[in-house]
Parts: sequence; structure tokens; C-alpha cells
Amino acid sequence: MSISINRRQFSLLALSGLAAPALVKSRAFAAETITVLNWQGYGTDEAWALKAFAEKTGITVKHEYFNAESEMITKVKTNPGAYDVVLINSARVRQLGADYLSPIDQAKIANDASIPPALRMHPNFVIDGKPYGNVWLWGMTGMAARAGKAKQGDSLSLLADPGFTNRLAMNDDPVVAIGIGALMSGQDMNAPKDLKLVGEKLKSLKKNIRLLWQSEDEWNKAFAADQFDLSVYWSGAAIRSRQNFKLPVDFIVAKEGAIAWVDTLTVPKSSTKQDAAYKFLDYMIDPDFYYEWATKVGAPASANPAAMAKLPDGDLNKITHKADYLATMQIMGPLSDDVRQSFVDLWEETKAFYAK
Amino acid sequence: MRTLGIGWLMVVVGFLYLPISVMMLMSFNASPFYTLPIEWTGHWFAQLAQNERLLDAGRNSLLVATVTAVIATICGTTAALVLGRGTFRGKRLFQILLLPPMAIPWLIIGTAMLVFFHWSGIGRGLHAMILGHVALSLPYVVLVVGTGIQTLKPELEEAAMSLGSTPAHAFFAVTLPGLMQSIIAAGLFAFAVSLDQFVVSYFLAKPGVTTLPVEIYSSIRKGFTPEINAISTLLLGVSMVLVLAFAWLSNLGSAAHERR
Amino acid sequence: MLLPTYGILAISVFLPLAVMAFFSILKRSPFDPGPLTFTIDNYLVFARRPYLIDVAWTSIQLGLWTTGACVAIGLPAALALAKATRGQSQKILFFLIILPFWSNGLVRIFSWTMVLRDGGVLDYAYHQLFPSAAPLGLLYSFPAIVIGLVHAYLPYMILTCYLSVSAIDDQFLEAARSLGARWPTLFLKIILPLAMPGIVAGSVLIFVPVIGSFMEPRILGGKTGVTMGTVIEDQFTQAFNWPLGSAMSFVMLGFILVLFGTFAGALKTRPVAAA
Repeated sequence: MSISINRRQFSLLALSGLAAPALVKSRAFAAETITVLNWQGYGTDEAWALKAFAEKTGITVKHEYFNAESEMITKVKTNPGAYDVVLINSARVRQLGADYLSPIDQAKIANDASIPPALRMHPNFVIDGKPYGNVWLWGMTGMAARAGKAKQGDSLSLLADPGFTNRLAMNDDPVVAIGIGALMSGQDMNAPKDLKLVGEKLKSLKKNIRLLWQSEDEWNKAFAADQFDLSVYWSGAAIRSRQNFKLPVDFIVAKEGAIAWVDTLTVPKSSTKQDAAYKFLDYMIDPDFYYEWATKVGAPASANPAAMAKLPDGDLNKITHKADYLATMQIMGPLSDDVRQSFVDLWEETKAFYAK
Repeated sequence: MRTLGIGWLMVVVGFLYLPISVMMLMSFNASPFYTLPIEWTGHWFAQLAQNERLLDAGRNSLLVATVTAVIATICGTTAALVLGRGTFRGKRLFQILLLPPMAIPWLIIGTAMLVFFHWSGIGRGLHAMILGHVALSLPYVVLVVGTGIQTLKPELEEAAMSLGSTPAHAFFAVTLPGLMQSIIAAGLFAFAVSLDQFVVSYFLAKPGVTTLPVEIYSSIRKGFTPEINAISTLLLGVSMVLVLAFAWLSNLGSAAHERR
Repeated sequence: MLLPTYGILAISVFLPLAVMAFFSILKRSPFDPGPLTFTIDNYLVFARRPYLIDVAWTSIQLGLWTTGACVAIGLPAALALAKATRGQSQKILFFLIILPFWSNGLVRIFSWTMVLRDGGVLDYAYHQLFPSAAPLGLLYSFPAIVIGLVHAYLPYMILTCYLSVSAIDDQFLEAARSLGARWPTLFLKIILPLAMPGIVAGSVLIFVPVIGSFMEPRILGGKTGVTMGTVIEDQFTQAFNWPLGSAMSFVMLGFILVLFGTFAGALKTRPVAAA
């Protein structure tokens, strides 16, 4: 309600032309507003960043949030023109594809120049030779252990180790679960040939699993309350939990590998403010913005090596997110509906097995 | 017997308030992760006072809940009267139709409403939210008032009429007061259902407008802090004060009305 | 007279559900491009995915335990409220029982985790008395879910029973007692039958939503918290498979309707005996 009142007041003032010079800073921009669709608290809505961005470009950023990727997809499909920037995991970009998204003209994004082509033109989101998302962040989903508790090594088999009976917290996400099972059985996590084997690996965790978590906050609260010692967790979140919240957690990259993922920022085809959206995309991979965000708040790795280079050498983020991981690790890729459904079904069955 | 009864009541009230008191205590705890031991602070309330978004959401919730309760109670009571008193073909069908809103998980109903309202042009917004809330509260109202009706003695209304009163007067003077407790209870339920409803609110609210349960539910992702406890404590505190005031006032008004 | 209520329900619930029913016979989500293919495959979900039978049984057990506990705890409480208190204190107690309803469900459930978890309120108190005992292990279990559900739904039962019981004439009980009846007889022959409408209404208000519940199971149940509600939610949010999710909801609804159809005869309420 209050938002629409502001807009009406604002356009009245703009028409009268009286307040324009007073409202806008010395540079003569037409003040614009763009709407960003993202997870809440995931970088694009940092108040200090939006303020700096508005001062630099005159563009105000509004946000709408989603709580699940499927929700994001529904929102984009059913609200044409509502969003100018949408966060989409690179694995999901094809689900919306050329029907709903505009191809990104990377020449218009200055900071893209410092991103290696292999990353900014990753097959995940390149359709017919054109990229439909601008890489933004990357991270890994792997093991996170209470400091001092994972002395036995760094293999994923730790998850089934009897030493962690009833002290394991698993991520309640079918793609992650199948991914872990695939890594444990040495398979391709985007196209595991032997799903049955994946299922067996997951079922072997039954005695250890105590709870399933779905959000970083859930994880933090349960960990702080000493409910588990070992878990499958996101790298950026683990760093945040350690740096910001002072929780004694170590992120472990197993020798079998971790699940790497890449997040992109996209521009819907129906957006009428594509130029403004591009400016925001550029700002998001800007090393100055990233430095503030990563050191003051905590973040996954930036896709822009120049931004990562700016972090101090001892920074946990920099140490954990080694650049060559992107080349060696399996990255979450697009899944067809059938494959995704088979993952969901296997995970549901596994959860029912855990509950018996 | 009487002391046993009162003792049991105390046990039940204690059970009901165990997590509530923990919730209220935690709004004074400095730890954002709710770890013990408690470090006392008023910090979260201070932060809440600045949190326009949360306070706005709280206000919206109260508004929507009140409107929902009123509409649902009026509609539901009339329906309950027809179902309870009348005998007509298809009555069982109407009773069964009360079950789907309660049985189907909110997520399904919420999504269904979103899609249907979108297609039929009803759209999103306050009106859609209230429509959804009322629909979800109605079965509760009908069932609760229905219980009250079943325990009423229909002969009283007949007796009033045989003494010369019109059916309408008999209804308002005899039946309605007898149902008052059920109606109030039903209204309170409808209020509670609406206050706690997040899925439907989440889907049907206009972007930028939120209600408290939606904010709380979304903050699971971001991280909900004891600010949430603070506003819940406030809400509860305000309700308690209102309730005590109401009880005191109504005692002044009515004589020994409820003495049986 | 019925029009406003059922009109609202029609627009907000029945028509949208009809849309969902239409979705449930589709093969894929209706937003996907391509022709719509129909199938009843989704309704064979229990045959195709036999592990769901265990899950459904868990949901039913939750329903039975929660409703049973609510009756056992709630009916005596309602009796006490109606008969053992009066006037101001009765009103205040009445509202005190309703108030927890007005606190947010999620915050309530989360507060329960703080009470039930190892190192939480109960565990802490227990260890003050028995310092060397093993942790209570209350959280992340089936009983924890039941506790959370009972806490959430108890006021319904207390209220509906109270409404029925408060109409029982004290003179009845006096008369029966003066004729020599003692408490067990009084309870079984007079109070229980007259409280039936309240017990039945309360049971419906509790059993039906509990079967589809997903918040308490997920948060309080840990790995044991797999119910029809959570499975259906996963199909919607993780698989984006609306057809399957809707079909499962309708199967669940069908089951509930059959259940009530079977018990309808037994639940048929007799009019309260005239004074």
C-alpha cells in the first residue's frame, strides 16, 4: 500500500518538474525503479549496497522474494513485466529458456570482461550460442563438521561413519541428496546411471541422520543448540556461520568431490527496463561491492576472479573457494522433468525409509 | 471432585502455556540463536519498534483477521442454523462439503486459489485474501455453532411462540442469546485461523503487502530473530489485556445472566 | 440462507479445487508448453509408490493419537470449566484457553523445540534431578510431533466439549445423585452421551487437519517427520509436479470422506433429551 502511494506522489512531483533537481543528485538521470526477484537476504537486497547503487546510477531497486525455486519459476511465468532481474541457478535457466528470458549482451556489462569465457558461456545457460544468464556467484555443497569432530579424514564415507550415530543433519533437497549419493558411488550427479546404487548409499546413512534442514537459519539454530556434529551444507553459508555467527564449523571438501553450483542473474524477456537491469548486473559482480558483502556479511564465491582477488589472502572465503574447483568439480546442471521427478521420488522413498 | 477438576484445569493451562512462556521469555534473550542461558535484554523490542515492515504486517494481520472473523461468523452462523434446524434433501451433502477446506493441505488450496483467482479475474489483493481467509474459517464456524445448536432446547423457542411471540422475536430473544457462547467461540476461532494463515495470504497478497504469518514464514529462510518473539509476545499481551477488559466490562453489564 | 456461506466456499474453495482436479489428470504441469495429455496415472500413486502406504499410516496414526489425547485431556478440562468454575473466573479461564491460539503457529512449534530438545527446558530440568542420566531424546520423534499437535489443537476440543457440557442441566446430575448414582455412572450414562456432539465436532476439527499437517512433523519430527502433508508439499515445491500433488490431495480427501461416510451412522446425533 505505501509503495503505490510513494509512486503516485513521485510522479506528480516529476510532472511538476519542481522537485526533480532537488530529488535527484547532481547528475541528470531519469530516476528509474527496477524489481529484483531473489531469495531474501541473498546479496541483492543489502541496504548499504542499494543505497550506493542508487547514488551512482539513480536507479532504485525494489525486491520480491521466493522461498523455493519452483515458486520462482511460477512467479516469472505468471507475472510478465513484473521483474527486471531474476536470480536463477544456472541449472534452472533452461527451464525458463528463450521463451521467458532475454539473451545477455555481455558487451554491455563491463565487469564480464574479467570472467573467463568458460564460465560466462557455460553450457548450462547457453542456448543456440547465446547466454541467457549472467554468472554471479558460485559455491559448493559438501560436508560441514563441528570443529575437531571430523578427525577421521575427508571422505564422504564419513557421513555413514558409526562415530556420528544420530549426529548427522542432511539437506532436505532431492537434487543435493541424489548428488551426494552419486558422488559417494562415483557417478555423474547430473545423470547417474545406477539410481538404485545411489539409493543404497543414501539409505546407509539412516542410523546417523537425526534431522533434515531446509534453510540456513534452521541449520544455524540446530547447530548452535548442539543437535548435530556433521552435516551436508553450503560452503558460503558455512563461512557465514563461522565468520558472522562465530559458530565452530569447518567446511570440508571431500576427496570424492563436492557439488558445485553456479548462480546467475537473468533478465526476463518481458522486462521494460533492460538497460537499468544491466547496470545492476554489472554492479553485482563489481569487485568493490563484492568485497564489502563478503567481508562484512559473508557470501559464496564471486564468479568474477577480479572480485575474489580483492579479498585478503587469509580470508576463509578465498581459501575455501579455490578457483580450479570450477574446472574439476561436477557443476549442477539442467535436469529434464522426468529425471528431476525420479530424483524426487527416490528421495521421498529414502525419507520414508529413514522415518520407519 | 470439584478440586480435582480445578486441579486438572490448572495442569492443562500449564501445558498450554509452557511453550508460550518459553516464547515470551526468549524475546528477552540476547542470543539470536535462542541458546541458553538467557542474557536479558530489551534489544529486540527496540529493534521491533523500528521494524516498519514487521509492524505493518502485524497491523494488516489484525485487520484481516477481524474482518474475516466478522464475516465468517455471520455467514457461518446462518448456515449452521439452516443445517441444524432444517431437514431437506442434500443436507448431508452440504455437511460433507465443509470438509474439503479443512482436509486439503493449505498449500494445495492456496495454489488452487491463486490459479483460479488469476484466471477468473479476481486477482490478488486484500479482497482476495479476505475471501480466502473467510472460506477457510467457515467450516470451523459452522461446526462450532452447530454444536451449540445441538445442545439448545428447541422447545424454548416453541414455548415463546406459543406465548404469543413472533418467530423472529422468539429467535432473537430466546435462541440467539442461547447461542451467544457458541457464536463468540466460533468468532474467536475464525480470528485465530485467519491470524495464523500464511499460505493463502502469501499467495493472494499484493506484492508489498504482507501479513505477520507470511513475514514469519518467509523469515525462516533469512533467519528469524527474537524480534519475531517480541511481536508475538506483544500481540499476546495486547490480546490478554483486551480479554481481561472485556471480561470485566461484560460482568458490569450483565447481571447473573448465566446462572443456570 | 445458505447462499452466502456456500457461495463464498464455492468461489474460494470448490471452483479452485475443481481446477486442481483438472490438473490432477494431466501428465505434466499445465504451464509447460505443448499439448495437454491426460492420464489417471497420478491417482494410482499408492500402487506406483508403495512406500507411501507407510507414510499414510503415519499420518493416520498421528490423527488418531492426537484426537484421542485431545479427548482424554480436553473433555475433563471442559467439564471442570463448565461445572467447577463460574462467573468472572470462568470467563477468564475460558479466554486463557483460547489465547495460545492467537500466537503464531510457527513460533509456537519452534518454542516446543526449545522445550523438548536435548539441552532444552525439560532435559535441563530432568538433569538437575538426575545428573548422570542419558539425554531424554524427546525431540525429533513421533511423540514430539503428537505433543506439538495436541498443543495446537487441544483448545478446539475443550471448546466444543465445553459448549455441549455447559448445557447439561445441573438438576439432572443432582437428581441422579440423589437417586444413588455415583460418579462413574453419572459420567457414562448422563455426561458422556450429552457431551457427544461436542466430542464429535472437536474430533472432526482435529482429525481432519492433522492428517494433512506438515509443519509439526517437519520441525518436531526430524527424520521421522514424513507424512502425507510433507510428501504432497514436496511434490509441489521440489518436483513442481502439480498434477501428482493434487491427485494425492484428492486421494487423501477421498479417504477422509469414506471414513466419515462409514461412521456417519454412528455419529448421527440424537436431539438432546428435553428437560
